[in-house]
Amino acid sequence: MKKKVVPYLLVSPYIIHFLIFIAFPVIFSIVLTFHKWNIISPMEYTGFANYIRLFQDTLFLKSIINTLIFLVIHIPLQIIVALFLAEVLNQKIFLRGFFRAAFFLPVVVSGVVVTILWQQLYGFDTGLLNKILVTLGFGKVGWLIDPKIAMPSIAIMATWKNVGLYIVLFLVGLQTVPKHYYEAADLEGATHWQKFFKITLPMINPTIFLVVILSTVGGFSLFIEPYILTGGGPLNSTLSAVLYIYKQAFFYYHMGYSATLGLFFALIILSVVIIQKKFIEREV
Amino acid sequence: MKKNIKYLYIIIFLLVGILTSCGNENDNENKLLYWSSNNPYEIEFAKYIVNKWNKENPDKAFIKFQPVPEGQSSEEIILAAVVGETTPDIYSSMWQGDVEAYAQAGVVIPFDTLDGFIDFIYERCDSSVVDEMRSQDGHIYQIPWKINPIMMIYNQNIFRELGLNNPPHTYSDYLAASELFKKDVDGDGYVDRWFGYSEVIVTWWQRFFDFYPFYLAASGGAPLIENNKAVFNNEHAIGVFSFLKKLYDNEYFTRERLSARQDVFLSSHIATRFTGPWEIVHAEKFKPEGFEYDFSTIPVPDGFEGPIYTYGDPKNIVIFNTCKDPQYAWEFIKFMISKENDLKLLEITSQLPRRKQIDADSLFTNYFNANPKMIKFAKQSKYVKGTDSTPVLKEVFDLISQEYEACVIYGVKSPEQAINDAAHAVNLLFIK
Repeated sequence: MKKKVVPYLLVSPYIIHFLIFIAFPVIFSIVLTFHKWNIISPMEYTGFANYIRLFQDTLFLKSIINTLIFLVIHIPLQIIVALFLAEVLNQKIFLRGFFRAAFFLPVVVSGVVVTILWQQLYGFDTGLLNKILVTLGFGKVGWLIDPKIAMPSIAIMATWKNVGLYIVLFLVGLQTVPKHYYEAADLEGATHWQKFFKITLPMINPTIFLVVILSTVGGFSLFIEPYILTGGGPLNSTLSAVLYIYKQAFFYYHMGYSATLGLFFALIILSVVIIQKKFIEREV
Repeated sequence: MKKNIKYLYIIIFLLVGILTSCGNENDNENKLLYWSSNNPYEIEFAKYIVNKWNKENPDKAFIKFQPVPEGQSSEEIILAAVVGETTPDIYSSMWQGDVEAYAQAGVVIPFDTLDGFIDFIYERCDSSVVDEMRSQDGHIYQIPWKINPIMMIYNQNIFRELGLNNPPHTYSDYLAASELFKKDVDGDGYVDRWFGYSEVIVTWWQRFFDFYPFYLAASGGAPLIENNKAVFNNEHAIGVFSFLKKLYDNEYFTRERLSARQDVFLSSHIATRFTGPWEIVHAEKFKPEGFEYDFSTIPVPDGFEGPIYTYGDPKNIVIFNTCKDPQYAWEFIKFMISKENDLKLLEITSQLPRRKQIDADSLFTNYFNANPKMIKFAKQSKYVKGTDSTPVLKEVFDLISQEYEACVIYGVKSPEQAINDAAHAVNLLFIK
């Protein structure tokens, strides 16, 4: 009897944690999508009203488009920069250990701190970037106040913040490429670029896949940067889907509608990841 | 193995013991729990009041004081307490705009059902203030307590340099003074000295410092919402948007967020801003030597006549339905807002009690003589408005804020179109 109970007792902390913090919220949020609830009043059953509202909500559509714009800029930028830096840091360069640590530092710094730092850099009047541009004879850029530039500015900042993590992943990938491939290529007279495109890239394809998946999921959850830097503006150009869902839940207490948006958005992320997986697996 | 099982039981027993001991102190029937805001001055005031009450009423139930627990905002903490049914009996820093939702959810007690409330409130407050407190169901769920009227602070040194003897009273005055002051100081081709500043982000409550006080000033204190309908689609709101739009179009205000910088008012990068009396404490602490400032009413349309209203940023007192003895809670509140204690509130916190003719009451004379900058706020306190009674107030301000950004800051909509769109979107909120 004891033999039967003890294993269950030992796994019970995880099971309890799973039931309370994962299973219950997921089921509860699905139930919520069929209700109107402002937390303080009793829930009111509304059928599919939240879903109908979702498909008529142009601001939610805009927030998804904004998030996709962010991803389109952020993911390639992240991969190119991280791969380039990983390639450099994979060579025997001066102070290699220092640079590896330095590039990783923003990853462990709080997102809020990074955002406030970049707010100083992006300032129109006194920001460092515009000071440099003016000194070089260029005009000032409305990094955060121009609706066309604000989201790319946030993508650049997010890339700077996260690139260290992806450098580490690429470094691991690069170090797993067998050296004799390069030696053979050298004997054949291959150039540096030929080696990169014909050996390195195909060999680190699984790492690229991992980076794409991680930055896609991370990019979809874009929140802190627009929340602190722009509040979703100017003209809702940096309103990310997660920020919009957050606003619906915690500014206006539309818990049912917010749960509907969250569920719908989770399905979008899932679909994108599945498509990416299929596409990249075919390439690997 | 047996030994291990024994230890497991001991751990579970201890955990259960610890968890079950975490009860609510408020369960004690001989106590009422009072939460104040967590502003240090208000904590000092609340401690003073509670100690005095408990000392003077040893035979009555004990009042226990605690500042509202720390969180992102006190509103969120109160909401969490309501959901968890751990609300205090009395809370004294309730934003007026939140009360209607709590009233409709039945979590706050109607004061007008308590003995002596109606007589007391009409004796101490103007009838217009009492009417403003009235909920959609006709009951009064909050006691007006304190206000921080939004006024225009201006740099007197700059005004003297510009040859201006008086602060700008009308839109034309303000625009003319703005043109005189705006400048590209460092010669890089971009204006870096603006006449004023207001936060450009769309967060709904930022409009309490620009659109809303201007709207109240221009309209003589008109509501935004009446009978669940937007009533701000009028010449006042359009006029305010047109005026504020000119400030950005002409670079008298900047579109950049300046909040992360050194105080732009005290560093003379701007000459005016729209703020409350809390600015006095800040300015006195951080102003450079020789820096002089004063306050004036919110600018109004040219030719405007009549009293100039503004937003009062009111914080009120409520009793939650978890209170076991609302009548006793009301007795304590009555003590807390007695005339003498209103004076104490003003002395300790520099926040104005929302009472009749506070500027003319001899009890407050010494305070105003010692704090002359507060007199303007006291005079203004006769002409302040809070917010309209609607459970969707935040969304109303958010929708206005969206249109404000589109029209005033970025000029992609005309004032007429923006106000019309905002009113239309607000009316959709009320369609069930």
